[in-house]
Amino acid sequence: MTETIAEKAAQSGTRFLRPERVKEATLLGIIALSVVVFAFLIEGYLSGRFFNRVTTSVVIVTLLAAAQALVIFSRNIDLSVGSIVGVAAYLTGDFLAATGQGPIVAMLVATVVGAILGSVNGLLVAYGGVPAIIVTLGTLALFRTLLSIYSEGANVLAGDLPPWVLDFNNVTLFTIAGFEVRLVFVIAVLVVLLLQFALARLRWGRRIYAIGSNPSAAVQAGLPAASLVFWSFVGSGALAGLAGFMFMARAGTISATAGAGLELESVAAAVVGGVSILGGSGTMLGAFLGAVFIDTLKLSLVRVPEVSEFWRDAFLGILILAAVILDTLLRNRFNRRWSAEARKAMESSGPTAVGMARVAGGGGTADA
Amino acid sequence: MRDWATKHRWEAILIVVLAATIVVNVALSPFYLGFGNFVNLFWLSIEKIIVVVVMTFVIINGEIDLSVASVMGFSAAVTATLYNGDVVPFAVAILIGIAAGAIAGLLQGLVITRFGLPSLVVTLAGLIGFRGAARVLLEDRSVGDFPEWFERIGQQTLVGPFPIALVLFFVGLVVAWVILERSAFGRKVYVIGNSADVARFSGIEVNSVKLRLFVASGTVAGLAGILFAARVGAVQGTLGETYELDIITMVLLGGVSIFGGSGSMLGVVLALFTVLNIRNGLGLANIDGIIQTGVIGLLLIGSVLVPNLARRYRLRRPAPASPASGAIAPGPP
Amino acid sequence: MTAITRRSRVLGPLVVVALVVAACGGDTGETTTTAGEATTTAAEATTTAAETTTSAAAETTTSAAGGEAVEITGDGAITATFLPKCTNIAVFPQANSGAEEAAAELGSDPAEFVGPADCGDSTGQIEFMTNAVTQGVQAIMLSNNSGDQLDAPAQAAADAGIPVVTWDSPIPSATGESVFVAQVDFDETGQVMAEMARTILGDDGGEFAILSATPDAANQNAWIAAMEEVLATPEFENLVLVETVYGNDVAEDSVTAALGLVDSHPGLELIMAPTTVGIVAAAQAMEQEGLCETIKVSGLGLPEEMAPYVESGCAPEFALWSFVDLGYLAYYVAYGIATEQIVAEEGAAFVAGRMGEYEITADPTREAGLRVLMGPFSKYNAENPGT
Repeated sequence: MTETIAEKAAQSGTRFLRPERVKEATLLGIIALSVVVFAFLIEGYLSGRFFNRVTTSVVIVTLLAAAQALVIFSRNIDLSVGSIVGVAAYLTGDFLAATGQGPIVAMLVATVVGAILGSVNGLLVAYGGVPAIIVTLGTLALFRTLLSIYSEGANVLAGDLPPWVLDFNNVTLFTIAGFEVRLVFVIAVLVVLLLQFALARLRWGRRIYAIGSNPSAAVQAGLPAASLVFWSFVGSGALAGLAGFMFMARAGTISATAGAGLELESVAAAVVGGVSILGGSGTMLGAFLGAVFIDTLKLSLVRVPEVSEFWRDAFLGILILAAVILDTLLRNRFNRRWSAEARKAMESSGPTAVGMARVAGGGGTADA
Repeated sequence: MRDWATKHRWEAILIVVLAATIVVNVALSPFYLGFGNFVNLFWLSIEKIIVVVVMTFVIINGEIDLSVASVMGFSAAVTATLYNGDVVPFAVAILIGIAAGAIAGLLQGLVITRFGLPSLVVTLAGLIGFRGAARVLLEDRSVGDFPEWFERIGQQTLVGPFPIALVLFFVGLVVAWVILERSAFGRKVYVIGNSADVARFSGIEVNSVKLRLFVASGTVAGLAGILFAARVGAVQGTLGETYELDIITMVLLGGVSIFGGSGSMLGVVLALFTVLNIRNGLGLANIDGIIQTGVIGLLLIGSVLVPNLARRYRLRRPAPASPASGAIAPGPP
Repeated sequence: MTAITRRSRVLGPLVVVALVVAACGGDTGETTTTAGEATTTAAEATTTAAETTTSAAAETTTSAAGGEAVEITGDGAITATFLPKCTNIAVFPQANSGAEEAAAELGSDPAEFVGPADCGDSTGQIEFMTNAVTQGVQAIMLSNNSGDQLDAPAQAAADAGIPVVTWDSPIPSATGESVFVAQVDFDETGQVMAEMARTILGDDGGEFAILSATPDAANQNAWIAAMEEVLATPEFENLVLVETVYGNDVAEDSVTAALGLVDSHPGLELIMAPTTVGIVAAAQAMEQEGLCETIKVSGLGLPEEMAPYVESGCAPEFALWSFVDLGYLAYYVAYGIATEQIVAEEGAAFVAGRMGEYEITADPTREAGLRVLMGPFSKYNAENPGT
């Protein structure tokens, strides 16, 4: 029923001008703009080497931004992703050191470890009734503690890992004039696209947005909210686990403090990418672009000779602020437009549709 | 007494937990019961708990301030830079540093109230931005060698065996308690936290209250940063890093609802004592800092989970209506 | 609200505070040291130790211990705290195992191995130092990551009669410190690093950069200063140090710092990292970027951590010493002072178990402070990977 309204509104001509698309396009534009600016400021900026560095570096943040977005859509938050990355990286490293398996098995192990940790979060939030910020603040500490106890202060050494690990980040699928398309980057992009598709097309995707938009209404409409929230945390944990695998491949030596602090970066990337912290709106693609933008900025600023590396974080803060303000302004503008269109569409249908539209339209667009 | 316990269930539970912590600590280490240790217990975390007091207001008001630790570092960095450059006398540098903290709070407060943005995001930007600003000022240097009077104030005792920071804390605590639970302003804070819209319709200038709270938060954070510099004797750009987690944990553990509108200073004080005692006791038993944090994390989750489960068991209710209200901000009812 | 409830609202917190004070105020006036404060009443605990642990740097009078080497032997168990910079860099557990070995030989209990988990946190050690004083341990062995920030707690320890023996990284001002057990001569470290740089860069020299640990680390700072002095001599003229950056002994930060160096200095040929975390991070970064042909990595590294990079040619040469030996020696020294078998004074000579004879001298690399110089560097390269 909500679909009909959305479809009607979509048909009325605002289809391509949906807020999500505009936000993503804007972000893409800003990224392009900054690349141009940096190319002026920095010699040799547009080189294959830099492109390769950005694409490998952005992988971890992308996966974490996706993990965070998944949870934020339903109006939750996951502050434990950093610790999940650490645990997954360390355990996978230990596993590889002991068994010497290959990348596919390793990725599976990392993802499963992450999913298990995510399910702890999910249980507490969805079935324990504990607010997500409290649960994940607690598990941020708990997971780190468990890792610390397990590791007994020892690090996983690069030398103990099978040789493919250290080269994994360099594995290239194909090269165009020095610009390498690396495997890890492709994996991250595929994951994002998969999730984007799932959230847009599959029913549970829309439902997650609905829960974030208006939790009590969603429950009253009969959505299996608890189960959906639970699985979103499992998903977020799994993504963080995969990020942990990437982390391990990148870091070589892994200590018990691996991944500390990544949670804030993941929230920042998602927010810059247009994911509203209030839930119910934003896209995976947006989160991905947010991650790319932040990472590109971080890596580029270091190279501008006039700007010391210490300006990096200061800029980042201003950037996030600007992104959120822009997002709010855009959203207000488009909400008004959207509501007008939806109202028109509503008035041409029956009463039941009106009721449903009111439920679905209260807060942000759910369609991607 | 019983009446009080029923009405203030959370505080009662905390008293029990605190007592248990003290008992465990006594068992774990014979060095725990000493007056010097009692002072150390607070003193080593004094800056954090000063900020906890003001954070209580912010969270009861339905907002959050993630930037406090970074503002600590920023204010200290401002003071240290002015001192290093010999621009103004040190005492003036301190005042400017605290003012810098106030401005930081003001900036964030303005953005939050004017644009209606979620405080989580704005203060997250502040957390990253002000930390960056601190590092711009200090780069990766460490500035120390402050005037002797400064370090003496920070490290030595003022009133009896208590250093000045500790005195400030207790005084501040009493003042804060009075404001929160006994004054009109405090009542407004609660009402806004419960529902900003209702508050607005009741004629409360919501934005003004929020703004004032953010300014207060920044100012207190700035003061905490300076106190830290006095205690430790040096300032680095990374001063106070990750403190915000501990601070927020203590407030939440104190029974302040993350959604705003409820909580008490007593609860926060108890939670604060408990956390400090846990850290101190475990530390004296040579238990790792990470494990200490894990215990506190467990306590935090348990403090919400256990009453939930207990309530559900007693009333035999099905799963709560909106589990997804693991929200970061209150939504429409 | 009735008068009763209003009163109890005020009384409530007061009662709690009173309870806590009563509970915690058990033994007043005992071993009470407010951190950083000098007015304690516990100085009577181990008086002779307290007297001898004041910094004896300025004194040139030879003490009764001068000349004859005292063999440090078991004299009962002591409680001690082993406080490294942080607990998860591999070298520190190694040092601790040396200390445990020493403790076992002397018939003492192993020292408590405590420290911050976060290597970049320069204030983390303060709490442990303060707690150690509260616990009334008989000796503290410290590798200082906090620069001057530990002056006050160390002085408090000294005032309480607890010898503070530093190892690996001293207290720069020697405040509160009994003696510093130096793994190598810090000036020599500068020489060794400069020589390794010249070997790698070749006769025509080149550009190189330093990737250090935390900005407050006393040892790294001293080594870098020494290296800069060596670089100023004519022999090393064509070696150009372009920049020094800090990785805080945190892997990710060090990788970022290394990459930053590469970006800002296109002519860079070598990264010298006098920290086991930094050298691994730099090597990993070069490996990731595929730059091992053009940019080499050297410095102070653990052979077992550097093995893959030696093989790949990223790290042709680096050096270190035995942390196990260092911990062993530090424990012997601390034990000797705590049990009053030796006195921390210039000229005091002693025998420390399997490591042989050593003497306490004035530390030539600092303005104040005493030193025990341990021993030689070990250089590692492809022929001698050390694993």
